[in-house]
Amino acid sequence: MNLFSHSWLPFIYLYGLGGILFVAGIIITLKAGSFDLKRPAHRKWMWILLFGFFWYFSMHALMTWAALGTISPYAVPIILLAQVAIFIVVTLRFGKKARA
Amino acid sequence: MQTFHSIGTTADWIVMVVYFIAIMLFGSYFGRYTKNTSDFFFGGRRFSWWLITMSIVATGVGSHSFVKYSAKGFEHGISSTMTYLNDWFFIAFFMFGWLPIIVYSKVRSIPEYFEKRFSPSSRFLATILLLLYMIGYIGIGFLTLGKAVIPMLPVAFTLFGLTIPITLMGAIIVIAIVTGVYITFGGQTAVIFTDLLQGFILLFAGLLLFFFGITYLGGFDIFWDLLPTEWKLPMADFNQPSSFNFVGIFWQDAIAGSIGFLFMNQGLIMRFMACKNVNEGRKAAAINILFVLPISAIVVGNAGWIGKAISIASPEVVSPSVSPDQIFVVVANIISSPGVFGFIMAALTAALMSTVDTLINATAAIYINDIYRPIRQYLKKNVIPGPENDRRELGAARYASVGVTILGVLAVLAFKNFPTVYEAHGYFHSTLTPPLVVGIFLGVFWKRFTASAVITTFVGGVALMILGARYPGILIAPFDHGIEMNQAHPYSYIRALYNTLVCSGVAVLATLTTQLQVSLISNIRSKANNTLLMNGILVVAILFFGIVAFGIAGLTLQVAAAVGVIVLVPLAVTYFVHYDEEDNTLGLTASSIHIARKQFKGSDPNDQEGEKILVHWRLFESDASSMGFSSNDMDQMSAKQGDLVYLSDKRSWLGGLKSVHSTYAEPHSEDGIVYLTPDLIESGLFAEGRELLAEKEM
Repeated sequence: MNLFSHSWLPFIYLYGLGGILFVAGIIITLKAGSFDLKRPAHRKWMWILLFGFFWYFSMHALMTWAALGTISPYAVPIILLAQVAIFIVVTLRFGKKARA
Repeated sequence: MQTFHSIGTTADWIVMVVYFIAIMLFGSYFGRYTKNTSDFFFGGRRFSWWLITMSIVATGVGSHSFVKYSAKGFEHGISSTMTYLNDWFFIAFFMFGWLPIIVYSKVRSIPEYFEKRFSPSSRFLATILLLLYMIGYIGIGFLTLGKAVIPMLPVAFTLFGLTIPITLMGAIIVIAIVTGVYITFGGQTAVIFTDLLQGFILLFAGLLLFFFGITYLGGFDIFWDLLPTEWKLPMADFNQPSSFNFVGIFWQDAIAGSIGFLFMNQGLIMRFMACKNVNEGRKAAAINILFVLPISAIVVGNAGWIGKAISIASPEVVSPSVSPDQIFVVVANIISSPGVFGFIMAALTAALMSTVDTLINATAAIYINDIYRPIRQYLKKNVIPGPENDRRELGAARYASVGVTILGVLAVLAFKNFPTVYEAHGYFHSTLTPPLVVGIFLGVFWKRFTASAVITTFVGGVALMILGARYPGILIAPFDHGIEMNQAHPYSYIRALYNTLVCSGVAVLATLTTQLQVSLISNIRSKANNTLLMNGILVVAILFFGIVAFGIAGLTLQVAAAVGVIVLVPLAVTYFVHYDEEDNTLGLTASSIHIARKQFKGSDPNDQEGEKILVHWRLFESDASSMGFSSNDMDQMSAKQGDLVYLSDKRSWLGGLKSVHSTYAEPHSEDGIVYLTPDLIESGLFAEGRELLAEKEM
């Protein structure tokens, strides 16, 4: 059965169009000056924004692979939890830098 | 389609009643912290991010409820999670655009922003659109509640020898009365704390149900292998069926829904405004979307997935023909024991009530800010702020809550004939959000977007939306991405694309022709009979809108009338409405947030990083509203006299319940001591001898 229209086509549409909107949001707020990367706290937010996009991107990709039988369904929560651990460590390091 | 009645045992009903009494007592306890309308609606702008995050769970999960996602999970599988996993795309716009603007501009409602950013007439139109949206949302909430409770109730009951049938509307009316009680007497603080408790409980209940379901089926591997491949995929098929397809839901939910939820859901906005500062609001939004929503997606949809797996393995236990909106209750009853089922049902109904009560509270806030106060100011000209006025407004807010509850029940009639709650909600969102979403979005991010453009968007955009709803096969079909049109409910989701495009198109057109409008109007002003001419244009514009709204004449004439509206309305607005691009955008657009911060503080913000310090408080009799720290303590906080300070009880688990905002007074010499006035002590709910945590805001 051809599942492309049920799997990767929605994925491409979601992260293609959604990605354009996401990047537009960052560029517009940076240009407006409300998002200011000179401020350490805002640099931390940039990391969180980019992580968030990658987090959902990888979550959907892993779930699709698991559904299609490419990977085990048990790999999905394991990889996602590893990402959460990385997120916590890096975010805390940003917090320390901001205070230093 | 198979429907159920009288599911559950006496033990379940006892658990449910006890649960509801406990929740109402809990809400009433925190209602005592409500002293004025600021507390009633915004909880006094004092709470920590984690408390707001958890309280948003009950609101978000309640609104995207167990019933409708379990229904779609049962019909289509894990793709029921789609709507929970697509909210990140607009987060930068929200965190660094809308959120700081609503906090720093000190607006109390979304329509108030429209008045400041555009004009009072824009506020009037925004109020109408927003009230329709909120009351419709409450109606959807009540409908879902009714559908959740009906399977547990008998077909009829006998009272004094009279047999009274239990109907959906009857159940909804009883639920509305219960819901109205504590929201009317509690207010936002009660709602936040009740939702905090319910947020934890419903996540626990949903995960418990998943665990029971997997155990019932014999393990995760069996569950996984029972589901067909299409049912395991995280997204629906691109464009079919018409009742549940990816591309329609992308435009309805990921675009219109996400912006609507983040930018124009007054209930959610009020939660973020209850955060102690903008950064805490950002944290609450980020943690909620990143981590809580994916868990919530499993919590609300898993009963449908389990139901589907059972229907494949044992169709005699769960028939594939069970009404989708009843699958949650049916599955919960099968896989859990008596009492536990009652607990799960209590968590479900309580979550839905959280959504509804938040929306009722928010709608009452809109009524007070955008109808009651402007009318009183208009009638009495001079309303004196003070305790007397505040008491009167608090009373009006409580009456408004009752009125909104009644309107919400009536709104159910508009949605109860859709096949599932999910489709009713999708149709509602696609139809009502685009004009306001475009208005807010361009208002915040496009300085050139004018008052005439926003009013033309509201009027002209709505005219084109009405035409789309009337002629979907002609106007919406070109955007349908191959989705088949359902004659009964045409393009429930993809109409969001058409509606967003026409509203955006009108907005951009009206903005780009601003100079032309201004020169035409200055030309008209130079004529002796200019008022008569402009009144004539206004009447013609209203007539054109009437032709579209009431469907007088054929399609071509209606389209021509809509074009007439789009041409004439900006001219009329430019003539009648005062708008100054500099005054109306200062501190109200993303490019002037630095000015908004300055206006919020009253002087230049101090962004130097400082430390948080622990202090003990002492009473200081004064009429001033500032608080006094020692010079050393202020140096440690990198604070100067006049900077903003946040003082809270040291116990972080209170989440800011006992806290207050103020400014730094002239420093003294006693380190570790803060001098507070009686007003600040009362407002912060500070107890004698308790250590406090102080931090500079800006």
